[in-house]
This record gives sequence, C-alpha cells and structure tokens, in this order.
Amino acid sequence: MKQLLQELKKKIVEELQLEDVNPEELGDDTPFFDGGLGLDSVDLLVLVAMVDRDYGVEIFSRELGEKVLITLSTLAGYISKTRKRE
Amino acid sequence: MKKPWLRQYARRVSPSITYPEIPIHRFLSDTAGKHPDYIAVTFNEIQISYRELNERVNRFASALQKAGVGKGDRVAFLLVNSPTYVVAFFAVLKLGAVVVNLNVGIQGEELVRCLNHSGAKMAVTLDLFAPNIYRVVKRTGVKTIILHSVLGLEKKIPLEEGAPKPQLYQEALASGEGAEEPIIPISSKDLAVLQYTSGSTGSPKAAMLTHANVVASVMQSESWVGIEGAGNAAVVCIIPFFHVFGMSACLLISVLKGYRMILLPRIDLMDILSLMKTLETYKPISFPAVPSLWAAILSLPPEAARSQLSSIQVATSGGAPLPSWVHERFENLTGRRMMEAYGLSEASSATHMTPYPDGGPRGSIGVPLPDTEAKIMDIQIGEKECPVGETGELVVKGPQIMQGYWDNEDLTGKALRQGWLYTGDLARMDEDGFFYLVDRKDDLIISSGFNIYPSQIEEALMRHPKVKDAAVIGAPDRIKGQAILAIIVLKEGMEEGKEEFFNFCKENMPDYRVPKAILFRNEIPRDPAGKVLKRILKQEAQAG
Repeated sequence: MKQLLQELKKKIVEELQLEDVNPEELGDDTPFFDGGLGLDSVDLLVLVAMVDRDYGVEIFSRELGEKVLITLSTLAGYISKTRKRE
Repeated sequence: MKKPWLRQYARRVSPSITYPEIPIHRFLSDTAGKHPDYIAVTFNEIQISYRELNERVNRFASALQKAGVGKGDRVAFLLVNSPTYVVAFFAVLKLGAVVVNLNVGIQGEELVRCLNHSGAKMAVTLDLFAPNIYRVVKRTGVKTIILHSVLGLEKKIPLEEGAPKPQLYQEALASGEGAEEPIIPISSKDLAVLQYTSGSTGSPKAAMLTHANVVASVMQSESWVGIEGAGNAAVVCIIPFFHVFGMSACLLISVLKGYRMILLPRIDLMDILSLMKTLETYKPISFPAVPSLWAAILSLPPEAARSQLSSIQVATSGGAPLPSWVHERFENLTGRRMMEAYGLSEASSATHMTPYPDGGPRGSIGVPLPDTEAKIMDIQIGEKECPVGETGELVVKGPQIMQGYWDNEDLTGKALRQGWLYTGDLARMDEDGFFYLVDRKDDLIISSGFNIYPSQIEEALMRHPKVKDAAVIGAPDRIKGQAILAIIVLKEGMEEGKEEFFNFCKENMPDYRVPKAILFRNEIPRDPAGKVLKRILKQEAQAG
C-alpha cells in the first residue's frame, strides 16, 4: 500500500502537470479537491483515465467517485482492493 | 475577393445557402410536427418527446406572458444543460423576448453588472444557483425569479427583505394555459440572444444575435456535415448551452434534425464521471467537446476509448486549438478524422470548420463556412490585407455575425468595421485557403475552452490586502491547452502562503478562473510605460 501510494503520487503529479507540487512532499491524506490538490473536472477525468489505464480499475460513476476520489489514500485503498494490473 | 478555400469544400456542400426567414423556435415547431414521438431530451431518467417538449414550451411561454414578459424583454438564464434550459430558451424566443445567456459560474459584482447591463427583468435559474442571485437581486432590475427546485434548497436560503419572492418553475409551468403556440409577430431581424462573453476590461460585453444570425449559423454548420437519415440519433450535450458552441452544435442542430439530446449538466466535479457511461450507453452520432475533454477521454486505455468513441460520426472540437497528439490518437482508434471548428460568441458560433469527413491539415482551424468570408489584416491598423502565409488579425464576414455589442457603441465600432468582425485572433492562411491560429492580439488565456482575460484575475488579486503587484499569464498545458499562472509580489513583511491565495481566488471568481499555480516574485517586469512584460514571464514559464 505504501509503495502504491508513492507510485500514485508520482503519476498524478506527472499526468496532471502539477508543476508546483513535489510528490515526495504530498501527504497520504491530501484531498484531491478543495484544500488539497485543487483538481478540476478535466483533471478528474484524466485521473480516472490513468487509474483505468495503469491499474485496470474503473471509476466511471458519480456514486463510486464520491466514495473513492476523496484523498490519495482513499484512492490507493480502492485500487489495491480491485486492481487488475500490477 | 479570392476564395481559395472553396476548393476544399466537399462536393455536396454549396458555397451559398438560401436561409429561410424564420425565427429560431421554428426549428422546434417543425420537428415537433414532423417527428412528434422522437425523443428530444434525455436527462437522467427523464425522457421528453418533441411533441411534449413543444407543448411544455408553449405552456411555459404562456406562464411567462402572464408574468409580464413581452417582446424585446430580456430574460437572464443562470442554467446548466437541463430540460429547464431547453424549455425556457424556446419559450422566451416564442414571446419575442431575448435570452440573456450567462455563465452559471459568475457571481457577485460581475453578476450585478451583467444583469443591470442587459436590463433583464426576469431571471430563470435552479435552486443550486439561487444563493448567487438572491445575494444581488436587490441591486438589479430583476423583478421576477423563476426557480427550478431540484433539491428544495430554496427553502433553506434566506431572502432579503424587499427581494422578489421566487416563483417555482414547476408551478409556473402548471399555470401556463393550453399547449398552443403564442401568436406574436417575430421578424428574423429581431434580437434573440444576448451572449455575454469575457471582456478584457471590467465592463460586460454582450454580443447581440438576431434570429437570422443564429438560424444562419446553425444551417451553415448543418450543411457542412450534411448527415441525412440518422433519425432520432443521440447527441451528447456536455458543452454548456450558455456558450454559443453548445447552443449551436448541441441544442439547435439537434432540434433542427430531430436528434435526441443527452443532457449532461456540469454542476459539480463528479458529474464528469458519468460521461464515459453515457457515451457507452447512448452511442451518440455526434459529440461536440472542447480539446481538454477530448484529451482526457483519449488518455483512456485504447480499448476503453475505442468502445466510447465507436459510434461517433461527427467528433467536433472547438473552443481552443486541438493538440496534434489528440488528433492522431483519435484517428488511430477510430479510423476517422476529428473536425475542428473555430468560432466566437460574436459569430453566433462557428465561422470556420475543417472539411467533413476528410479533415484538414494538422493545426488548421479549417476553412470559412458557406457564405462566410475571411481575410488576414495587418495587426497595427487593420486596413491592409496581408499576403498568403503572413500572420495578421483574422477578420470575418457572414450572415452569422452579430449586430454589435449591446449598449456599447465604442466596442462595437472597434470590433465591426464595414461589416467585418475583427476577431482579435492572430492567424494566417495558406495557399489552399486553410486558416491557422497563431496567437491572440491581447493576453487572452484559453483554458479548457474557457476564455479568460488575465485582467479579471489580476484585478481580483490586487484587492487582496497582502498583494503589492500581480500578473497572470497562460502557461502551456498538455491537456487544457493553457493553464492559469499567477505571479504575485507581496507587500513588505508579508509572508508567502499559496493556500491563502488559492482560497481567496475561489471565493472571488468562478472556478475556471482560479489559477492552477501561484509564484511569488520580488518584482514583475514592466516596460517604461508600466506595462507588464508578459512575454518575459511566458518565456520563464515555458523554461520551467
């Protein structure tokens, strides 16, 4: 889980071009939205596309998104439970 | 005038169209007559046929008439893509009144300015946006608020004393008499839409679009693609209807052709997640979107992206230039070309499109549509036409071009000269008549399809007590085209804290204007006249 979290932080910073953010400095409980990374809806779509592409995990519903896409650790927790790709 | 672009027209496309002198809402009445049982609107579990839609529109028009709306009155919309928007849009037009299209994100002073500038006497909104309008309504001329209650939020929001009590949309609709169309003489030259658009200064700017402008624009785009026999095919409507691209490519072309509009409102961030399932479920024939959405979808694993996109015959991208990797990935996945469109609020929607279905050269915005002329003029004065291949200001002329800016003769005089619209976009044309955008004359940032003037953000930042100076630029962004970068100089002794400034921005501007990154510097480079040297800031941003 710890390794997955580190990997996710790096991928998110790269994929979303968060040039201001150092993945090493991101806390595990950093929220994706307000008060955290401040992602917008397009970022969100890019994030779920990356999770689908790299881990085989689909988050294509509002209901699931509201539960999973809260912080880095809630996302990592869901990926580790349901991933199809290593 | 030489028109080398005509050589690029597909054989079925005529360089000139005969435009019927009809009001926009005739599209709806005609389709409801021809295909009453086709589904017009799908919204979550709700399905509305064209017959029912037209009847609802007539009933709502009758209710608005009772509430005092008459010919020429302006009715402001603060609405996302929803059945309420569709019904209210056609009802207002059937009364000869004017739709005031506002971005749902605007609030505070900006909303006050737009409402007062338009002279709107009525506003139609959802309870989700009610707080924004309740806060300012007393400072405007709005006397009636019609509110569609989705979550019952209006009961929890206090209304200031003296503010008009909102009327519920559902009740208004029920109070409308009969399902007959109101009989109001409407000329195609009458004003139909006031399209508010970003202005480089604080004053609001609204393009005046007549029925004839909008009808011409829709017919030009429709003739360009020319798909026949698609029946009640689906069109995914995620581009907001309050934007001309959404109003034309999603709403009006669908109603003209009898397509089924799959409405996807974007109220909060999570709404976007249903897009993938929507594409898979409804297999749309057309999906107009901005480049950042295309880029996000095409970031999916190839097999997933292919299944989302397989049905789409008309994949249109507009609002900003489309990165070439997005073009290539789409082509590799589907074997089809994407269609790029260029347009602006002042032109009712598109002036240029790449040929359908063959596409155009990479990086091109295509060629002028039927009856549309375009040329490149010198940047300094704008009176000398530039030779082929040279960069200058793109100017356009055609039946879709606005009548001017509402209540702003100065700006109208600058933008419209001898019938030519000066777009502010720097472009060039090649020998084959294809046009290419090069830059902007001003500092406009286009991020995720939104036009953002740095001055709007700079002015807000300068109101922060810790800020001594501020400049805002667009930095390159692979997905969004450009991302907003704010550079701040703090007053002496003040401490740096990005969080504080991000929060300040979120409280004082629509989400799409909140900077993606903030940098602190000791000074902002300026020329001797005090003008910010954005070129230097942009070079620094590009260098990382």
